[in-house]
Amino acid sequence: MKDAMILLIEDERQIRRFVRSALENEGLRVSEAETRREGLLAAGRCQPELVILDLGLPDGDGAKFVDDFRAWSAAPVLVLSARSTEYDKIGVLDAGADDYLTKPFSIGELLARVRALLRRGRARPGAEASRVSFGDVEVDFALRQVQRRGEPVRLTPLEYRLLAVLVANAGKVMTHRQLLHEVWGQATGDNSHYLRIYVGHLRHKLEDDPAQPRHFLTETGVGYRFQL
Amino acid sequence: MLSSILLTEDRKRPAGWRYGLAVLACGVVVAGLLPFRTHLDLPNTVMFFLLTVVVVALMAGRGPAVLASVLGVALFDFLFVPPRFSFEVSHAPHLLTFAVMLVVSLIVGQLTAGLRAQASEAARRERVARGLYGLARELAGAVGVEQVDESVARFLQEQWSAPCRLLLPTADEHLQAVHERGGVVPALDVALLMKVRDAQRPLQVPAGDGTGRQVHVLPLLGATRNRGVLAVALAERADDIGPLLEALAALVSTAVERLHFVEVAQAAQLEAVSERLRSSILSAFSHDVRTPLTALYGLADSLVVGPPPLPDQARDIAEAIRDQALRVNGMVGNLLDMARLQTGPVSLRKEWQPVEEVVGASLKLLGSALEGHPVRVAGLADLPLLEFDAVLIERVLCNLFENAAKYSPPGAAILLDAAVGPLTVELRVTSGGGGFPPDKLEKVFDLFERGHAETAVVGMGIGLAICRSIVEAHGGAIRAFNPPEGGGCVAFCLPRGTPPLIESEALPLEDELG
Repeated sequence: MKDAMILLIEDERQIRRFVRSALENEGLRVSEAETRREGLLAAGRCQPELVILDLGLPDGDGAKFVDDFRAWSAAPVLVLSARSTEYDKIGVLDAGADDYLTKPFSIGELLARVRALLRRGRARPGAEASRVSFGDVEVDFALRQVQRRGEPVRLTPLEYRLLAVLVANAGKVMTHRQLLHEVWGQATGDNSHYLRIYVGHLRHKLEDDPAQPRHFLTETGVGYRFQL
Repeated sequence: MLSSILLTEDRKRPAGWRYGLAVLACGVVVAGLLPFRTHLDLPNTVMFFLLTVVVVALMAGRGPAVLASVLGVALFDFLFVPPRFSFEVSHAPHLLTFAVMLVVSLIVGQLTAGLRAQASEAARRERVARGLYGLARELAGAVGVEQVDESVARFLQEQWSAPCRLLLPTADEHLQAVHERGGVVPALDVALLMKVRDAQRPLQVPAGDGTGRQVHVLPLLGATRNRGVLAVALAERADDIGPLLEALAALVSTAVERLHFVEVAQAAQLEAVSERLRSSILSAFSHDVRTPLTALYGLADSLVVGPPPLPDQARDIAEAIRDQALRVNGMVGNLLDMARLQTGPVSLRKEWQPVEEVVGASLKLLGSALEGHPVRVAGLADLPLLEFDAVLIERVLCNLFENAAKYSPPGAAILLDAAVGPLTVELRVTSGGGGFPPDKLEKVFDLFERGHAETAVVGMGIGLAICRSIVEAHGGAIRAFNPPEGGGCVAFCLPRGTPPLIESEALPLEDELG
């Protein structure tokens, strides 16, 4: 984790200031940029392990940056956005950003997201673990087995596939579109109620309190995030 | 010369003038021929009379041509055939000459007059067609119904000297004349006009003003609906005018309909532009206010958490700054939401979804704000799917939970439960504490109205007003009451509608998943 290079693209100096100091206190290195254009140049120069991207840059669209950046880098992108712009968020997440933080955010939240994304980014080169456990649930992907408190849990094929996609993208916000595409093989939004119903099934089978889930989290208006 | 004669129509000259012309023409020929009577053979003379008949037929039509034929034979017999100045016939073959001359005159006269009538009819049609074409072009460029009315009135005046009146439906579906031209078409019975419009069939009624005019009432049939009526007062009964009037009515309805759709499109465009403007002003404002608030919150937070550790007092102050920034942010959010919801139509992104999910999301969003108030959730798992905008309903739930926590004594639980009705699903958030003041159960949803004005709890009285706007935009209703068990309750219902069918998926066989 130490020494990781973080690229911070944000046009407001005071926000850059406290984000930078928070990251540096964690022993991370920070490079700054004020615009999308500068950000792309800086990304090429410093090869960041994580990009923190403000959605309200003066020279536009965050989705465009992610598009360009994804052409050559798989490093995670954390988006900073204001509330009430769900649709901009969906655009930038669909383009390949990994997570977002709603302004204003606390330093604790910021660091938690940064750590989670850096872990994800570093874990990526290796193959995914064949066994994953969260809460009192154990998933063995090699055996296609799901157990809760030592008891086998029966999932339908679609539920299992959805669980597998969510676990493989743990910590990352998955938009409705992305999940529909990965699990159902379609990108249309018409059937998004199926997705919601199946996430509900997983919660009822795997969460202690399905109304207040701890692992299958809803990002309202955007999608879902699976948290280990 | 010939064409100008041909194009002069019968009805433009009075009958006396035309028959007089026939008599005059015969007189002129006689006067011209008499001096040369001795030099001319009788057959030559006959030719001149035939020529006269042709000229009269061309200039004055069938009747005068018949008169000229008969008069010609009579004058020829009386003045040129011996014995002169008597109708007696001395030479029998002359009778044959007279008979043949009469027949030839009549036939030539009728043929010529027919030709002339055809030519003039063709010319008339051409003129009408040209007029219609000109009218069509004018109507295509018209930018208002007044202009349509004016063009049609001018066309009818030029073609048939016919006054007209164009009546279009008003907003409340009554017919109203676009422009009242005093007395040109007598005020027609409104019921009659409505009948024509609704039956969509033309009607002909006497004008009843002593001029003998017939009023043709034509419905203007649009592609989607009837656009009004056109009343034309024509002087004569013309059988072939029907199709022309129909063509005219079609032209006018097309023009009126086009103007109507232009108007609709402009209104829609205006609305879209103002909606876009509104939303971009609000998001620009939101961005501009939140940016310094984010900096303020983050900088204060970095003082609290970051090294080096602050003395206790300074740390408390930094925390206070951070928390106040968060509160201002909450207020700004509420104000912006209110501005968005109250300044125009709310655009909803409705999707079918379980209620449980949005409840979980709002509880997670509130996080520490509900500290000290355990939330109990009951009866959500079996609710049908509802169609709503998740972001907005999450907002409603957050506001209700926050409100409940604000006005409950510390440690009191907050209860969320649901009741399924035949048409709606009601969600209820019940808080502990004293409940709402009984006289304010209605007013708590008003903007800037606070249920507990005298308490020390901070707030602006926007939260519940936002809830009401959102719920009402979904076609639901919201109410507040104090349940007999104590505490206060806010309940809102959403329509059930017809949820999409869900194909259930069978559990796999044991050997498939183990």
